[in-house]
Amino acid sequence: MTGADMILEALEREGVEFIFGYPGGANLPIYQHMPGHPTLKHILVRHEQGAAHMADGYARACGKPGVVFATSGPGALNLVTGLATAYMDSVPMIAITGQVASTMVGRDAFQETDVIGATSSVTKHSYLVTSINQLPRVIHEAFHIATTGRPGPVLIDICKDVQQADAPHVLPERLEIPGYKLNGHVDLDQAKAAAVALAGAERPVVLAGHGVLLSHAEGELRELAEKAAVPVGTTLLGIGAFPVNHPLSLHMTGFMGTGWNLKAVQNADVLMMVGMRVDDRVTARLADFAPKVKTFIHVDIDGSEMGKNVRPHIELVADAKKAISAMIPHLPEPEKSRGTWLAQIDAWREEHPLRYTHSNGQLQPQDVLIDMYKRCRNEAIVVADVGQNQIWAALWWNYDRPGLFLNSGGSGTMGFALPAAIGAKFARPELAVWCVAGEGGFVMTAQELSVAVEHQLDVKIVILNNFSLGMVRQFQDDFYGGVRSESDLKHMPDFVKLADAYGLPGIRVDKFEEIGPAMDAAERTKGPFLIDFRIDPEANVYPIVPLGKSLNDFWEAPEV
Amino acid sequence: MTEDRLRVLSVVVEDGPGTLSKVSGLIRRRGFHVRAISVGPSREAGQVRMTLTVDAGHAEVDQVRKQLERLVEVVEVEDLTGHDVHSRELVVATVAAADLSDLIERGAKVLHSGKKGTTVEFAGDGTEVGEFVDELRRHGVQDVVRSGPVVMRRSA
Repeated sequence: MTGADMILEALEREGVEFIFGYPGGANLPIYQHMPGHPTLKHILVRHEQGAAHMADGYARACGKPGVVFATSGPGALNLVTGLATAYMDSVPMIAITGQVASTMVGRDAFQETDVIGATSSVTKHSYLVTSINQLPRVIHEAFHIATTGRPGPVLIDICKDVQQADAPHVLPERLEIPGYKLNGHVDLDQAKAAAVALAGAERPVVLAGHGVLLSHAEGELRELAEKAAVPVGTTLLGIGAFPVNHPLSLHMTGFMGTGWNLKAVQNADVLMMVGMRVDDRVTARLADFAPKVKTFIHVDIDGSEMGKNVRPHIELVADAKKAISAMIPHLPEPEKSRGTWLAQIDAWREEHPLRYTHSNGQLQPQDVLIDMYKRCRNEAIVVADVGQNQIWAALWWNYDRPGLFLNSGGSGTMGFALPAAIGAKFARPELAVWCVAGEGGFVMTAQELSVAVEHQLDVKIVILNNFSLGMVRQFQDDFYGGVRSESDLKHMPDFVKLADAYGLPGIRVDKFEEIGPAMDAAERTKGPFLIDFRIDPEANVYPIVPLGKSLNDFWEAPEV
Repeated sequence: MTEDRLRVLSVVVEDGPGTLSKVSGLIRRRGFHVRAISVGPSREAGQVRMTLTVDAGHAEVDQVRKQLERLVEVVEVEDLTGHDVHSRELVVATVAAADLSDLIERGAKVLHSGKKGTTVEFAGDGTEVGEFVDELRRHGVQDVVRSGPVVMRRSA
């Protein structure tokens, strides 16, 4: 069997359905043999970054690893941003790149790049395959590593001569990776201690991150919260881990989180952080993060997260679902004063609601999202880009379960939304998929419109067009001396004509009254549809914590 | 750099062409700094032992071990900092002086004697090797190479 066939056969055995890829000199042998493996559906992208984001969106939407093909050199390098995006957000992905022939490696051959070197900081693991005998084992290992423990992208760089070599196909025996240990068991003493500390606290708060979604622990989290009467907030990536409409919900935390969430975090005496990295966007100024907490509880499957940013008093290095399940039977009755704490949070919710300006006659992005939410409720996937559009889409929507809000949280990759939405649609064809992007991020990967049109994917594209890099402009106004430097997008394409050029319908919306009819048209249309919403260029994201300040110092939207 | 930022780690890794670069890349991107390194075969075929002295930089010091453990190529990390250990370094030097009696007295061994100088080797802990190198200067040192430490827990 040829190496190329071994690769494709291994993918079939791993249950792969879609490959997002782009052919080129160093992976042509794989493409030559692809027709012999018709169960693998190859999606030809227009740029390799698009492939990586599609695989990422696919994986986030259905939980299965996304698979990417690219050729050597520039092809592989174009994946780097997409790999980094997946790595920062712990998304399982397999990237298979062609490499120059093993005898040519290191000679600066045509389209040769040290891909392992270029990607090792943005992959969970990587392999350079120089012999056909390594192939079956490496691919099997790669899937195991990408999908277990804390998931992440794994890159397999396969020399062209390996793809063309012939060898008997020896199926991999059982996996033996001495350096790869999974944190399987939950320390029961720590779980009990955590349960007692949380339920016994006067002012407890739970924050849930992406790890809760990855381990499907949302049911257990809800049971824990209700039994212990503890309010729950989520990180940006943890959205969906706890229903926003739940009476115990604190909605989103962090430096653009809700006022009542930040009040709760800053006044908590026990803070449990589950499946999250506790990064700077969550803590704002670290020295002032949750200053009244006596007991930090941290649950994460990755032991290196313990104490990386905040030193916990109780640590549970384990899968979130297992850890929370182990805590639940040991929860004592909630502390008597809990009613007072929850009433205080309700008061903060009243005092610091989400609000926005809608009196200046201009189209407000929140109006667009509120209309969308009324239509979609929790029957659609929203894929946001990066910037103001991302935070508006996170806050102005009451997500009630995992997998409905996808975004590049850790890496903050502009251009993520369109290809990720395409990947999500391949993963969940039964759900409506809405791509929400600013015009700046949208044009970074707009060429993937071709893929949406080619496959007639029902992806609705909402451009929140404010003629500028809105988040940059807002930061410049508020934190960089009011100097609006290079944040105006003075010339952009006519997006309706651009849609037409790509072969999909599109309309422009300037007024509040036009939102509904435009959305109706989008919903009525089979296949992709684009709406260019010309929004208030001065619209800002609130609440926001000024850069370098503590969570206490959040700014709210001006009173309406 | 202060002493309490330093971690002494004995790390068993898979023997592969990419391993050293994966380990050193991780150390760089996490803001750590290698102060000393020594690499040699381990008891297991296919595995190599690295002894690393690493400055944790601005990170929590236990991050050095924890981050190394995340690498799939890393089989085992033992943090030997502050433990009762044998820590040995090797120095090889060529000196001009003819009279080497005080170097010999310290435990140096002559490897080669020629017209242009004498080459000696000396092994000891970091302090001993440091003092030996100071002593060499007084003998007109022409060339000196020094290894990183190899470190092992003291047996009971």
